[in-house]
Amino acid sequence: MSVFLQPGFWVFVLALAGIYGIFSLGLQIQYGVGGVMNFGHVGMMAISGYTIAVLVIKYQWSFWWAAFIGVALAALLGALLGLTTLRLSGDYFAIASIAFAEITRYWILNSDSVTGGTQGTLAIPSESGFSSYTTEPDVILTWIQDRLYPLIGDEASRDLAMVLVVWPFLFLFIWISSRLQQTSWARVLRATREDDDVPRSLGKNVFRFRLQTLIIGSVFGGIAGIFWALQFMLLAPEDFLRIVTFYGWMILILAGATRVKGLIFASIFFGFLYGATRFLDFWPLSLLSSPERAYLRVFLIGLVIVLLMLKRPQGFFGKREEMVLE
Amino acid sequence: MKKLIARTESISKNSSNEHILEVKDISVSFGGVQPVRGVSFGLTENSFTSIIGPNGAGKTSLFNLISGINKVDAGEIIFRGEALQDIHIHKIAQKGLVRTFQGAKVIRRLTVAENLMMAVQGNPGDNLRGFLNPRARSSFESKSREEAMRRLEQVGLTKFADEFAGILSGGQRKLLDLSRALMTKPSLLLLDEPFAGVNPTLVEKLLNVLEELRKDQEMTFLLIEHDLETVMRISDRVIVMAEGKIIADGLPNSIYESEVVIDAYLGSRRRGAK
Ligand SMILES: Nc1ncnc2c1ncn2[C@@H]1O[C@H](COP(=O)(O)OP(=O)(O)O)[C@@H](O)[C@H]1O
Ligand SMILES: [Mg+2]
Repeated sequence: MSVFLQPGFWVFVLALAGIYGIFSLGLQIQYGVGGVMNFGHVGMMAISGYTIAVLVIKYQWSFWWAAFIGVALAALLGALLGLTTLRLSGDYFAIASIAFAEITRYWILNSDSVTGGTQGTLAIPSESGFSSYTTEPDVILTWIQDRLYPLIGDEASRDLAMVLVVWPFLFLFIWISSRLQQTSWARVLRATREDDDVPRSLGKNVFRFRLQTLIIGSVFGGIAGIFWALQFMLLAPEDFLRIVTFYGWMILILAGATRVKGLIFASIFFGFLYGATRFLDFWPLSLLSSPERAYLRVFLIGLVIVLLMLKRPQGFFGKREEMVLE
Repeated sequence: MKKLIARTESISKNSSNEHILEVKDISVSFGGVQPVRGVSFGLTENSFTSIIGPNGAGKTSLFNLISGINKVDAGEIIFRGEALQDIHIHKIAQKGLVRTFQGAKVIRRLTVAENLMMAVQGNPGDNLRGFLNPRARSSFESKSREEAMRRLEQVGLTKFADEFAGILSGGQRKLLDLSRALMTKPSLLLLDEPFAGVNPTLVEKLLNVLEELRKDQEMTFLLIEHDLETVMRISDRVIVMAEGKIIADGLPNSIYESEVVIDAYLGSRRRGAK
């Protein structure tokens, strides 16, 4: 249990929380505001992360341009998903969105010559034989570490530098998102959660509003992908399984889908749960193999969601009235 | 009956070029049901027309067709010279043809004021481009809010302004639905039984509001209403529907006295009233 006393553990939790926070912010604007149930959100993160790795390693692009293109492609993927399937009813869209993310992952898995296939970005063919894509941003992370070293010594880890980079962005995006949610644009979207005919009969193009929220959410997913790529320094197809989308959903449910600030708390809680379950290796859990412990993590996280739905359907910070009005 | 139809034809012939709405032989069916069967009529600009008829006559279905919520199987709907039958619902509303719902659909999880503010047309904040112009957005918002408060005052819902609309009673929802439609400043307003469950004093007041709007804003109204006294008072024309068809169409008094109508509809009502 002593791992929980180490600062390094909490720094990792915070780094993860920051990335997942940005990721969930995308789901929040899609579902919390617009009622669009996207179960393929992980696809946006995969696209942007992989775009960076491929452009930098295979084509020697600058990281920054690659990151920009990565987010643009995530937005494009969101637009494509929306244009093809958003006219379906909510349930069908949810299913279609899972398929969309799975197709993305299969494409990554099976395009060895571009993406490195099953072996991940380490296997992306590169002229120089060099398979790292973080050289440029690492300059910044190292700079931060160097500044911190005199103060805290070995605790000045790369993870800590990541926390200091990611969290200001998380706060910035939360601020932008909450501003966006005070607009009449968001008001129309909130109306569409209940009924399409009313906003339509008042002259609102419901499809356009939904498509916009889907694209904005995808941009957040894409940005989360940049930080993910930066944090883990290599990517593999199995990083982007469906479960990642549901981790995002868990954070959203914890936060209360309609409350943007609950997201911070919920992200840290998730980061802790995720980080802590890696260390569930004391007896009797030590009898389990490590993949089995990974399942245990999913099980525990699922249990938290179920308990929460029973006890506080509005999340920690949501307003109950908004859930129960008929 | 013949006399009535003849009169209608002469009305529509005289004024066909001033028609704001022209419905030509429209029909729709859902599975085996055909709620609207070959309905035709025209509405003169700035007129007030009521539709009456027994439950299930197809009145609401007719509104669903005109407002674009359902699409016609056959026929044409012309609004200000433009065919509507292949146009999206929101475009129809943007052109100034707005309707209320018989079930008074309010957005339960928006506040009462938000329900109204959502309806204002041309809001720069509805557009993501407007996000970059906070000043234009907020001045539009405060104007919308003022207007919403004025409308709420009119229907006695001021104290609910910042409550979720979900807490309103059925009658109050009707008032909100009506006020919301008015917020769009429509040129043609379709009202589907807006007064059911609303107390008579307030109905009286609302009728005056509608009459004023007709005079000052030159609005045109098409009203579905069960209460004949109300219909007789406010309408300058009455259309009677039964089984998906128009069975009579003319001036209120002539409808009131028509044998066909008495048999099909009014008779049972009048007898029932006694
Ligand atoms: N979308 C629909 N699907 C199936 N039946 C419908 C639909 N809309 C209306 N109807 C049927 O059309 C008939 C007329 O209903 P309606 O237009 O509501 O009558 P009214 O408003 O005159 O009381 C009813 O029998 C109703 O069940
Ligand atoms: Mg009806």
